[in-house]
Amino acid sequence: MANSRTRTSRRQFLLAVGAGGAATVAAIGAKTLPQKQQAGAKKDRTGSGYQLSEHIRRYYRTTLV
Amino acid sequence: MSGEPTPVAVSSEVAPEDRARGEFYALLARLWYAAPDEGLLRVIAGAPDATAEGEHRGLAEAWRELRDAARRTDAAAARDEYDAAFVGTGKAEVSLYSSYYLVPTARERIVVALRDELAELGLARTGATHEPEDHFAAVCEIMRHLIGVGSTDAALQLQKKFFASYMNRAYNPLTNQVMASKKTSFYKYVARFTKAFCDVEAASLEML
Repeated sequence: MANSRTRTSRRQFLLAVGAGGAATVAAIGAKTLPQKQQAGAKKDRTGSGYQLSEHIRRYYRTTLV
Repeated sequence: MSGEPTPVAVSSEVAPEDRARGEFYALLARLWYAAPDEGLLRVIAGAPDATAEGEHRGLAEAWRELRDAARRTDAAAARDEYDAAFVGTGKAEVSLYSSYYLVPTARERIVVALRDELAELGLARTGATHEPEDHFAAVCEIMRHLIGVGSTDAALQLQKKFFASYMNRAYNPLTNQVMASKKTSFYKYVARFTKAFCDVEAASLEML
């Protein structure tokens, strides 16, 4: 395991620059699919909650789905 | 690429700060993949401020400027701009392919290496597309995927390696070209935001 001090300082850094908080951009991520793709998009979920966007589906086939 | 891709180990343990990073990548992938539609522009326009402390204000400021630019932009203008700057017939004004910025020649070697790495990760291109895998939007989407796998040491090291190989030396020249182009306006702010976020990524992955 990476030592917890490394993890803590990385987390603090991400929070300090505004990249670690869930309030801003995080709220947008789920809404980022183009509308025309959303219409016919099939939502595939993995165990991680990661949602394959139509975009990555166009590029890749993954063994997760 | 040989054999079947191996399944990706999936963990539900994604730390909050990594989940947030994944959302940044999702937004970047979307914005570089195609021009924003009206719905996305309005969501960005109405988004709250990012909070930042002390001297680390670059990302928060770039975010605020992108939001202000979204308020001034409509979907038709964004689409025209995207097509003029990044699509074009023949050589595009600005290339969105990472390999273009990574090596002067033999770009296909980068694409082949990337394809092999993706196969190891259990990802492969669908037969339906002929786009090379090194499109900046695709590379962002892969980072998002790698982050979604979990926040274990191994997962973070994989993110660090992928970022170092395919993003770290590409994002500065790419975003600089977008900012310098006469054909961009909204995308200058997308580029600034992208650069600010990638600066944060480079610094935070270096801490691992």
